[in-house]
Amino acid sequence: MTNVSQSDWRPARSVVHSPLPMLIALLLAACEPAPDPAAETPLRGDAPAVSPSVPVLKRLTLAQYGNSIHDLLGDELLVSTRLEPDAAVEGLVQLGAAVNALSSYGVDQYEATAYDVLEQVMASESLRARLVPCTPSATRDDACARTALSAFGRRAWRRPLSTAETDRLVEVAGVAADTLGDFHEGLVYGAAAVLQSPNFVYRVELGEDDGAGGRRYTDWEMATRVSYFLWNTTPDDELLAAAEAGELTTDAGLAAQVDRLLADERAREGLRTFFTDMLLLYELDSLNKDPNVFVHMSSEVGPSAREETLQGLDWLAFEDEGDYRDIFTTRTTFLDRKLAAVYGVPAPAREGFAMTELPDDGRRRGLLGQLSFLALQAHPAGTSVTRRGLFVREVLLCQPMAPPPAGLNTAIPEATEDAPTMRDRVEQHLSDPSCAQCHQFTDLIGLGLENFDGLGVWREEENGVVIDPSGDVDGAPFADAWGLAGLLRDHPDTGPCFAKTLFQYANGQILEVGEVELLDWHSQGFEEAGHRVKFLLRDVATSPGFRQAGEIE
Amino acid sequence: MRRSRFFSLREQALRAPLSRRTVLRGMFRGAAVAVALPTLEVMLNGNGNAYACGGVIPRRFGLFFWGNGNRPDQWTPTSDGEDWGLSEELAPLADVKHLVSVVSGYAVKLTNDVPHTSGSCGILSGTPVQFVGSDGTFGGPSIDQIIAAEIGNDTLYRSVQTAAQDIAGLSYNGPSSLNPPETSPWALYERLFGATFREPGGKGLVDPTLALRRSVLDAVGEDLVALEKRVSTADRARLDQHLTGIRELEERLARLEEDPPNLEACSRPGKPLTEYPEVEGRPQTSERSRAMVDLLAMALACDQTRVFSHYHSQPVGDTLYPGASAGHHQLTHDESPPQPEVHAITLQIMEEFAYLVRAFAAVPEADGTLLDNCGILATSEVSEGQTHSLDEMPLLIAGSACGALRTGVHVRSYTGDNASEVMLTLIRAMDIPAASFGVDEAEVTDTVSEVEA
Repeated sequence: MTNVSQSDWRPARSVVHSPLPMLIALLLAACEPAPDPAAETPLRGDAPAVSPSVPVLKRLTLAQYGNSIHDLLGDELLVSTRLEPDAAVEGLVQLGAAVNALSSYGVDQYEATAYDVLEQVMASESLRARLVPCTPSATRDDACARTALSAFGRRAWRRPLSTAETDRLVEVAGVAADTLGDFHEGLVYGAAAVLQSPNFVYRVELGEDDGAGGRRYTDWEMATRVSYFLWNTTPDDELLAAAEAGELTTDAGLAAQVDRLLADERAREGLRTFFTDMLLLYELDSLNKDPNVFVHMSSEVGPSAREETLQGLDWLAFEDEGDYRDIFTTRTTFLDRKLAAVYGVPAPAREGFAMTELPDDGRRRGLLGQLSFLALQAHPAGTSVTRRGLFVREVLLCQPMAPPPAGLNTAIPEATEDAPTMRDRVEQHLSDPSCAQCHQFTDLIGLGLENFDGLGVWREEENGVVIDPSGDVDGAPFADAWGLAGLLRDHPDTGPCFAKTLFQYANGQILEVGEVELLDWHSQGFEEAGHRVKFLLRDVATSPGFRQAGEIE
Repeated sequence: MRRSRFFSLREQALRAPLSRRTVLRGMFRGAAVAVALPTLEVMLNGNGNAYACGGVIPRRFGLFFWGNGNRPDQWTPTSDGEDWGLSEELAPLADVKHLVSVVSGYAVKLTNDVPHTSGSCGILSGTPVQFVGSDGTFGGPSIDQIIAAEIGNDTLYRSVQTAAQDIAGLSYNGPSSLNPPETSPWALYERLFGATFREPGGKGLVDPTLALRRSVLDAVGEDLVALEKRVSTADRARLDQHLTGIRELEERLARLEEDPPNLEACSRPGKPLTEYPEVEGRPQTSERSRAMVDLLAMALACDQTRVFSHYHSQPVGDTLYPGASAGHHQLTHDESPPQPEVHAITLQIMEEFAYLVRAFAAVPEADGTLLDNCGILATSEVSEGQTHSLDEMPLLIAGSACGALRTGVHVRSYTGDNASEVMLTLIRAMDIPAASFGVDEAEVTDTVSEVEA
């Protein structure tokens, strides 16, 4: 398995940005509206050959586990969150889910949670009837147990169970029913075996021979892949039926199901999950800010900030169907009273969140003006030009930065009368060439955002001196945060970075060398489609790179 | 520092033919160190009864970890040997210094290419960082798991991990295989002392559902074994780890049916608070740490586990400590020398380690105390945080591990000796005849003889 490291990735990606394709794209854009391949053909047909990555097991994330339990057994169930914690790899929890092992602690928690939710099911007449659609004729009724467990197993494992597998579950449930003297109490043990099985806990997508010399994901595996990618939960009955009918290994069948999923409300929840992962918004639950420094700080600020960002992105993707890159420049956002106070604008609603337009005053706009970014990528008691710049480079432009070498004095000097502002202090820091070599790429972006304090409140001065927020990104100058936002919107890496992140998220795997050309094709299609997020979701969900499987050694 | 008394032909045979790859593979499966045949001696106390270490009373290992290091110039004791001179940063240990040995001047010898990660991985596992994409993980198991693999197999829990903050901890079984800590004292209490806890002298549980749960785990284990045959090598290792967890749980359920160990010092402790809300934006790290430590002391006294690791804070942690003007990590980098705020935070952390020492020393066990039968390592992932230095690593050892270790001494290396020697010292103090610790530049076969009894 060869992952694409920084050095592998850069030259390959530059194919997209070589002048010729850019020029063609510009010419196309000049004479006619961007084509919408989705409207004309079921699938884009000109994809380059891909050398697909080797299949890996993906353990359900906390959210996927909870969503799946709710869909399988009942929305009203309380599902513990004291499960093995998610851990990100390459900035994505979804990638960590394909790498990290489950600890003994996690095994314990899966067991406890399985019994806990099943006890809740048995205590509810309607939920119990859904799990057990038959009436047992005796304390031990293997036929009824078989009916219940084979149907439940098929939904939970996202594939039909073999006879031997079903026999095993029925036996477990039967022995338990005999021991406890109750059919339903016994069935809990059979169902608990389903929920603790690796066939539920992991997404088992291993591929099959495609009959043409390659390998592809099976119909059942495709149901799982598109469902967790687009809905972040287990496949529904219709998707499983399509898998059973062999439709998901056909172009038309897959396109039809992907379109159905994308048209469903649950796709919006799925996209929120993706953005939460990409932008690290889950960290806002434990936003670490000193309330003595930031008067607006309270425990609700972090979750409110996440909601603002997610509602805005949801609106951009599904209501406006606008250009992804507008996340940098849009003045449209969703605020509650708390955030409106932080931003110093009128609250658009008395209760909850409502859409509003930020003033056209050259100050705050787009994602880089939002508290979810400004506060999270800063220190507990101040700003951080490095963290803010690093986030822009690594997360929004996919430009990985090397960690600082050891043994250097990393101090940014403290503020003095001669050096009252962060810019003064950072310039001293950057005067050391060994620091400047990397920090120029991050800190000069961060300095452009110094008009926002460590929480995100606008300020003109720091220590009594007017802040100079000017700078440049890769040679293009900007006057302030407003100008920086415009530059980043039009940065050539903005669109391809989003495509790369979404592609990796969908596959649950770090991009490999054999996939780079295909990714370029996705980036180009994304650009030609006006950078519409829904287009890219569909394009990736129907991509050869999403359907073809590598060989397991 | 001195040649190992365990050095033998068998060891040479074990060590010589191993390629690096074989060693790492072995490590992933949890066999971290080349281990010679275990000794079966039972140590008796002065009265010749069996209520001594190695008899009914077992040896235990503990790790107390904090993030972001220390200030070596304020940390190092002012004199060597016995009756070491208290330094500014170790002042909180004044009343327990006879129970603690300080090892100073030792260094992590591996390449320091990922600040904080190279250090945590280097000190605790003796391995270089292993990369997954651009992220680093441990190249092998951490010391607590190396020890747990040998002495953790006879108790309800092989090891227990706790943290005083909502952090991930550093207990690794191998690459990308972390044992997450319990971060809530209340949840820890429920696990260790909840419904299934039996007082000393009590009887095993009579509960038919224990056997039923085991039958379910058998079925789950069969599914894991079947799936292992179809997946990649990397996934097989992950499923192996999962299977280990299933087997441990099965054994735990079986043990609950047995009579609990009848240990004098064991009793059900008081319940901790369910929540520790922030006070003025500052987490109650001290209160959470102490609640955890009290529960850990009783978990050991009741022999529910023999290995624990407790994470006060984590590498790069930006905790706002009481009285501090900024987060801990930021202060280590940006505060001007001599960094009075960083120093004040180190004092707070040492207060918590002193609390642990006092709490363990307050539990009577046989002729001595619980602490006497423990070897507890306190360390961090760097020394000076500002430069991410791996020289002058902070290393404290509390307890004599049943007389295997000397307490109350300061051992200083003036030649920057390999910090892995301290790890090997602790492993051998657990009566584990390990030949070596660490790989590459971190590999050692010698111990710090000056802290060995």
